[in-house]
Amino acid sequence: MDWQLLGISFFTVFLAEIGDKSQLAAIALGGSSAHPRNVFLGTVTALVLASLLGILAGEGVAQIFPAQLVKSIAALGFMIMAIRLLWSSFSSENANSAD
Amino acid sequence: MSSPFPSSKSDIPVSLVSVETSDSLPALLSEAKSGAITEIIPVTPDQVSNQADSPPLKNPTIESRINPATNQGAAKWRVFTSTFITIFLAEMGDKTQIATLLMTAESHAPWIIFLGAATALIATSLVGVLLGRWLAGRLAPQTLDRAAALMLLWVAAMLIWEVIQ
Repeated sequence: MDWQLLGISFFTVFLAEIGDKSQLAAIALGGSSAHPRNVFLGTVTALVLASLLGILAGEGVAQIFPAQLVKSIAALGFMIMAIRLLWSSFSSENANSAD
Repeated sequence: MSSPFPSSKSDIPVSLVSVETSDSLPALLSEAKSGAITEIIPVTPDQVSNQADSPPLKNPTIESRINPATNQGAAKWRVFTSTFITIFLAEMGDKTQIATLLMTAESHAPWIIFLGAATALIATSLVGVLLGRWLAGRLAPQTLDRAAALMLLWVAAMLIWEVIQ
């Protein structure tokens, strides 16, 4: 086992991911969901699978998944989740004020 | 936990319905017959006032607030899949993926690179979710939901920025 290489890959990825999109999403979804364990599992599966694909497919990933389209779909997904959260926070406010 | 009322929708999980048994029972019975309520736990008026003084229940899920009849297992599965799909798509072609790709090309040791990257990703995800839970314990549910919504919009904005560039 090449421990030095392992350490390099760990710290490179760790530093790249701290405060990045997927961690922000994990904070937001983990905090607002009642199933944080499933948020964690979903996040980890997605990230590990994405890096595995990066290693296995190499440059071919760009051909399989056109980055611009894929990122646009992801952006839309996050926006839908944000709107659902806003909707539920405002509707619960209305329910409280109606009491 | 057998329902006193025959109902074809008895699998709808409504765990607790607390009412004063004195005045609102007829209305409740009609709701129970329609299948909306499967379990009625009678409570005395002083229990009701005690419940009003106690702090509210833990922040309920988005799912349960939108649709209270949501099955727990289905809700968990939906949380997993929606998180998985959005984050997987967001990470495609992202700098982490490119970094692992480049390290693999340089070292020709793909499994060591993968092991290091996977451990790092598990660590950052765990830190993220734990940070979210820590905040959830300190913020009011509404504040938390709005902050979470703003964060997700920020993530969406970052993705759109990457697409435009």
